[in-house]
Amino acid sequence: MSLVILPLTIQTTAALVSLLGTLLVVSVVVYLFKTSSDYEEKSSAKAKVYRMRDRYFLGLALTILIVLITSLSMLPYPKFHKNPDSVVTVVAMQWLWKMAPEAIAADQDLVAFAGKNEITLPVDKLIEFRVTSADVNHNFAIYNSKGTLIAQTQAMPKYYNNLQYKFTEKGEYEVLCLEYCGMPHAYMVAKIHIE
Amino acid sequence: MIQINTTEKQQHRKLFVTWAITFLILFPVLILLGMLMRIKQGEIIDISMSKFYSFMTLHGLGMAGVLFSIALASLSYLLGTRYSKISVSLGYYVYYGVVIGVVGLVIGTLIGEFGAGWYMLYPLPFKGAYWTDWSLGVSFFSILILGVAWLIQCLHILNSIAKQYGGFKNILGWQYLGKSEPAQELPSIILISAVSVLASVFAVLAGAVMDILFLMQYFEPSLELDPLMMKNIIFFFGHTIVNATMYIGIAWLYAILPEFTGRDWKITKVVAIAWNATFFFILFAYLHHLYMDFVQPLALQYVGQMASYFSSVPATAVTMFGVIGQLYRSKVGWSMVPVMFLLGVAGWAIGGFAAVVDSTIAVNRALHNTLWVPAHFHTYMLMGIVLIIFAFLYYIGANENKDNDIEPGWGFKTFVTGSYGFLLMFYLGGLFSIPRRFSDYAGIDTQVIHETGALLAKIAVVFITFILIGLASMYSTLIKKLLQSLKFQA
Ligand code: HEM
Ligand SMILES: [Cu+2]
Repeated sequence: MSLVILPLTIQTTAALVSLLGTLLVVSVVVYLFKTSSDYEEKSSAKAKVYRMRDRYFLGLALTILIVLITSLSMLPYPKFHKNPDSVVTVVAMQWLWKMAPEAIAADQDLVAFAGKNEITLPVDKLIEFRVTSADVNHNFAIYNSKGTLIAQTQAMPKYYNNLQYKFTEKGEYEVLCLEYCGMPHAYMVAKIHIE
Repeated sequence: MIQINTTEKQQHRKLFVTWAITFLILFPVLILLGMLMRIKQGEIIDISMSKFYSFMTLHGLGMAGVLFSIALASLSYLLGTRYSKISVSLGYYVYYGVVIGVVGLVIGTLIGEFGAGWYMLYPLPFKGAYWTDWSLGVSFFSILILGVAWLIQCLHILNSIAKQYGGFKNILGWQYLGKSEPAQELPSIILISAVSVLASVFAVLAGAVMDILFLMQYFEPSLELDPLMMKNIIFFFGHTIVNATMYIGIAWLYAILPEFTGRDWKITKVVAIAWNATFFFILFAYLHHLYMDFVQPLALQYVGQMASYFSSVPATAVTMFGVIGQLYRSKVGWSMVPVMFLLGVAGWAIGGFAAVVDSTIAVNRALHNTLWVPAHFHTYMLMGIVLIIFAFLYYIGANENKDNDIEPGWGFKTFVTGSYGFLLMFYLGGLFSIPRRFSDYAGIDTQVIHETGALLAKIAVVFITFILIGLASMYSTLIKKLLQSLKFQA
């Protein structure tokens, strides 16, 4: 199911599902307002509601089980990673990004690390971004040219978060910082060109 | 249950109305800060970035703190006048503690320009670059004062209800878990108070640990704390305190709604199990804030998603169906209090639903730290717990008598409409990947994000105006009624 104006992405799916949930809640509220004047004796009204509740409970339990099983099998974490085609080191610093197409030693001085806030990478290859920070928490988030957030991971001091992503379309991508990191946080941007 | 005399009740009333008026003053001021943020993001008026983030910090800390405080105060009033002995004089110490804490935060953020966000993610407070050094000390001390005040009140409540209702196991409803019905009935408000206040104690303690570590680092700059551990503590604190605020509100909902519907709402085995399970889930759900920290142990990521999903079961199947059972064909008169309760629970459900969607790791990778996140918690805060708190204020304003409750007027309708419009812009921001905590979107090269973000913020400003107008109209009667309620006779 795809909307005319909106392509099916994680974002649009989440919004559609939430819209359905909201409509369900709204209909229950409207129904309660509408029916409240038809008086029914307490015990019989409650019995009806409890019968509903039992059915709801079973349905909810089943839904949760199914969604958990399906959604917990493909996660963005290292355990699910494959061998990457290339490795990119990303160092976040107040308030810039340093990216270079190489792995770095664990004891490398991150402030001195010479990376650029622009990088060119190949299309259809599995890239592994090794993301860390030289100061505070940042968040390495990649947006495509349509402005959709397509991948992200936190950039944390003292830790490396490895993010794997395969760009399937050539073009310009923008990196934004998605963890508040101080005053010019909203201006901490970088570019990825996919060729 | 206890009986208190008129003088004692008047003393409780006076303390509560003092809290209520303080809340009613701070609430729109904090909304105004939110409005200023959207005004800047919408490029209507330029506000400096440093101001933006100081406003953001005060707005977040202030709202979370003020709502938790008024929730505790409301619960304390109801417990103290009906169920167990709650000290009024201790209540005033807590009140002054909270006031001092809030004043300190106002000074720290608005004068000292402290602006590390309400969650103060370590080590940002120490490396923020623009706020003054003293504002850190003032803010941390103020938070400590708030924490101590809350902790005292929480422990006092727990101690008081445990004494009155047969000990700690009993107030957690464990006597309902056995085969036979317990000899003595436990009022449902006691069970929910126990669960939510105990969760608050855990949260406040975590907050205190964090704050003390911050103070140590403040006085000893060479100290280095582990950023991942700090993140876990911070989100445990923030997530749990905000959830506990909602559950505290639910406690008085269980006690007051039955007065309007004429149907009792008792603890059964199912209710007891549900609330004990809730306690457990509240403590682990915070892990969903760390999904994008790929170095967090994998098992904790699983626990995060499972706890978040499971927490929807008792909340919906027991509490929300309980509300439906209360209202369905009950011939309830739709005056302010029941309407606010129903809409408040609906807002909780809608915001909670959007939260559960986002607590799916596979979804969170696309929504984390976009406007979707504040969208969902503003829903269950503004259209959830805030309404449930206002229901309590109107209930006191009606002198705890349903026949004095007033009809919802245009002010209330404007408030609700404005709120949902404002929230819709928030969700659309999430849908369009607009980042949260951006002072403005002008630094983004991808034009569509910049333009959409600014446009949604602009429209939000219009809706916030409706919110404020609606509130003003509600205030004019509510404050009068609250002040009149001081002069009640038994
Ligand atoms: C009409 C009422 C409100 C308005 C207009 C408003 C507005 C805002 C805005 C514009 C933001 C910044 C969002 C962003 O761009 O990242 C924000 C953040 C926030 N708001 Fe509200 N808000 C309102 C009510 C509330 C309530 C009732 C709470 C209760 C807890 C609350 C708590 C917060 C928190 C915790 C943040 C995050 C601050 C941070 O990121 O450090 N707000 N609000
Ligand atoms: Cu950053």
